[in-house]
Amino acid sequence: MLTNLLALLAVSGPILWLLRPHRWRHAGWLAAMAPAAVTAWLLGQLGPVSQGIALNEHYSWSQALGLALDLRLDGLGLFFGLIIAGMGTAIAVYAGYYFEKASTLGRFYALLFLFMASMLGLVWADNLLALFVFWEGTSITSYLLISFKLTDSNALEGARRALVVTGIGALAMLGGFVLLGQMAGTYSISGLLALPPSTFTGHALFAPMLGLVLLGAFTKSAQFPFHFWLPGAMAAPTPASAYLHSATMVKAGVYLLARLHPALAESPLWFWALFIVGGITMLLGAVIALRHYDLKAILAYATVSQLGVLVMLLAFDVKLATVAAAVGILAHALYKGPLFMVAGIVDHATGTRDIRKLAGLARSLPLVGAAAILAAISMAGLIPTFGFLAKELLLENFFALIESGQTQIGWAGLAATVISGALFVAYSLIIICEAFLRRKPALKAAKIEHAPSALFVLPVLVLTLVGAAIPFFLTAIENTLFAAPVAAITAAPAELHLALWHGWTPIFLTSLLAIALGVLLFTQRERVRKLFASGIQVSGARVFDGLVDGLYGLAGWSTRTLQGSSFPTQISIPLLAAAGFVIYAFSLNLVADLRIDWNAVPTFYEVVLPTLAIVATLAIARAQSRLSAIISLGLVGVVVLLIYVFFSAPDLALTQFLVEVLTLVLLVLVFYRIPHHAYPKQPKHRSMKYLLISLAVGVWGFGMALVAAGEPLFPLISDFFSLNATAAHGGNIVNVILVDFRGFDTLGEITVMVVAALGGYALLRASRMRPIEAEEDFEEPYDA
Amino acid sequence: MPELYLALLDRILTPVLLLLAVVFLLAGHNAPGGGFIAGLVVATAFLMQILARGDSFVRKLIGIYLQPAMGVGLLIALLSALTGIGNNGVFFQGVWWKLSLGSFELEFGSPTTFDIGVFLVVSAFVTSYLLELSRPAEGAAR
Repeated sequence: MLTNLLALLAVSGPILWLLRPHRWRHAGWLAAMAPAAVTAWLLGQLGPVSQGIALNEHYSWSQALGLALDLRLDGLGLFFGLIIAGMGTAIAVYAGYYFEKASTLGRFYALLFLFMASMLGLVWADNLLALFVFWEGTSITSYLLISFKLTDSNALEGARRALVVTGIGALAMLGGFVLLGQMAGTYSISGLLALPPSTFTGHALFAPMLGLVLLGAFTKSAQFPFHFWLPGAMAAPTPASAYLHSATMVKAGVYLLARLHPALAESPLWFWALFIVGGITMLLGAVIALRHYDLKAILAYATVSQLGVLVMLLAFDVKLATVAAAVGILAHALYKGPLFMVAGIVDHATGTRDIRKLAGLARSLPLVGAAAILAAISMAGLIPTFGFLAKELLLENFFALIESGQTQIGWAGLAATVISGALFVAYSLIIICEAFLRRKPALKAAKIEHAPSALFVLPVLVLTLVGAAIPFFLTAIENTLFAAPVAAITAAPAELHLALWHGWTPIFLTSLLAIALGVLLFTQRERVRKLFASGIQVSGARVFDGLVDGLYGLAGWSTRTLQGSSFPTQISIPLLAAAGFVIYAFSLNLVADLRIDWNAVPTFYEVVLPTLAIVATLAIARAQSRLSAIISLGLVGVVVLLIYVFFSAPDLALTQFLVEVLTLVLLVLVFYRIPHHAYPKQPKHRSMKYLLISLAVGVWGFGMALVAAGEPLFPLISDFFSLNATAAHGGNIVNVILVDFRGFDTLGEITVMVVAALGGYALLRASRMRPIEAEEDFEEPYDA
Repeated sequence: MPELYLALLDRILTPVLLLLAVVFLLAGHNAPGGGFIAGLVVATAFLMQILARGDSFVRKLIGIYLQPAMGVGLLIALLSALTGIGNNGVFFQGVWWKLSLGSFELEFGSPTTFDIGVFLVVSAFVTSYLLELSRPAEGAAR
């Protein structure tokens, strides 16, 4: 069933694209059917999964390599799955109205649904390698969604940054997964979590493994110092930002941390890495958010901050922190998603997202205003919202730490929470008051060009109301919705007792303190903004761009140095390098191993053929015209072909013959294009140099042939092939190897061929395009 | 570039070469041959045509099919590799069917279709390079 759901989403996107949904005004509702079906099915699974019954699916596809597609729906997978599918349903409806008959809607749905399938696969995967594949799937679809507006250079830049940062992280994570798999002896996640944690924490390679895995999680979840890609990703269409870059994809890192929590969280290294990085990200995101005027930028940095909170909570190996993280994930999805969607509607209606140009939207767009204010007070964490509950749990965690004796960590966490909480309150108030309530904007007011229809606002309103309602039904849902993920993160059965109101506890008083500080910050907001704007601004994006430019510079330098000069020098470098190593190896001891039978009498062919080859080679060197050189080269090929014939390798001989014919003609065609003066006569000393290089390469080839003909260093595999060819229904071993025994290799090779064909096609075309460009340059002066 | 004697020769040689390619392709699993060799033979046949009738003639004839052929070939190869999963649960597991025609038995399997995919990719790949390289360079002296 899980696979069917993934396939349903992956297929329905392209089908929607083919249907050209922009022709219908209400296409969003049709699009929402697939994710709605997934959500409905997942809701039905809440009962059994919360009883601890996980759903497993196993598809083996390459036993020899130990590869299988394993899916597993447990508490954590279901919890994330509900967020992904539920939010996805709302976003699908919303996007239909957001794009409003733009013909790109179909492409957006195709990408969105592919993303949804990858993301669900990510949280359901029960195999580290499958998880990695789905993880990359989300990165690639995210890249395509950020760069959705292909003419926007900002969007392309942001997309590239996001892809490179998360891609580097993912590669590191793959390395970490391999180490993890080696330690556990299995790539199955459930198998790995069933082992005692000391298998990993006690291992000599624990620290490098942890570092690599954390790098993957931190880059994906935009943790400091990789947080810069997330605001850049806001160039995506708003439905994508609301979905990928606040509710789902950026939580993939958090998901991974939660998933591996039972195995790794015992180690102090895990604690300090997550606590410090999460803490810094939480404060940094909250501070930078105040610096911005763009609604989406404010929300993006607020998201960075919230992701920091979640990472920090997962540092702790206690149940309370885990509960806070689970509640925080859902609360954040249910207020930040709608806020992003509101930003999209405001942009859609007024043409701007600059908060300085907005005012009084609550009067002109009452429904949008109601949703925005409801979501923003949840972001601020005011009682009695879902956000308040999340913040209470966060504070409770630190109070419990102080009581249990870990006072320093507790106070540090408490202080950071109060500061970031105050900042959250401040910018929630800024959004509510400046955009929606005040009468006059700071700059020239933007007009409402066309008001959104009620159906456009409906998905936002529904999400906000669900978020607002949850705190009042806690007793009904706490053990079905939250207990299962908590149990999965802590690897112990959990029973929860959440409550909105605990009385006048120190926790509530601290919460009030944060709110009071936030209101104070809000009233002094202009001064605060000036203060923050004057601070040092190290732009992560600029550092990253510098690194990328440096990499390009290095590539350019190495290309110029190794391949910049004439063609003979270019090929001499790799050939000499190869020959040098082999000659060095011979000088050590391999010569002694060679068995040469000096008394053997060569046959007639063994004398004639090499002589012919040598004569032909000399003829190439002495040739006066290119054509005769090419023909002599062909003669060498024919000699090789004859050797294959005499040593009864018909397949090789056939291939050699055809390749020889084709290369001969290709050479003629290529040389035909090169003007004659490109090859002046070489001075004597240069000819000598090339001769010496050729001799060294000849020695290398000869040595290799001798070793290959001698005693095999390793047991030969050819016996296996000849014994099993008949079992593989084939009489021609070469062909059976190509298409059966080593079919995987062949598949890789023909894929490379297709890629090379496209690349070569582009290159050969590019040389023909140059004259056209020159003409365009020529026209420029007229424009100026 | 068209040459008279080549134009006469290729009328005989091209069909022979193409037929030979089919034989190599289908007999390749048991006798010398196979998709790779058959692909090269097809490329040689088109090379004859290019030399005899000029590149633009051949381009008009088959140019638009080359890139699709590569894609289709890759797809066929991938699908043949996937049939193993459908049948035995293992990627790339060979699946064979026997076709009895009286006393004559024809064996046909997923490795055969895989080879057809290889054939399509190789023939289209080499032919497209031949075509691009034989296109007369603009402004070059003839």
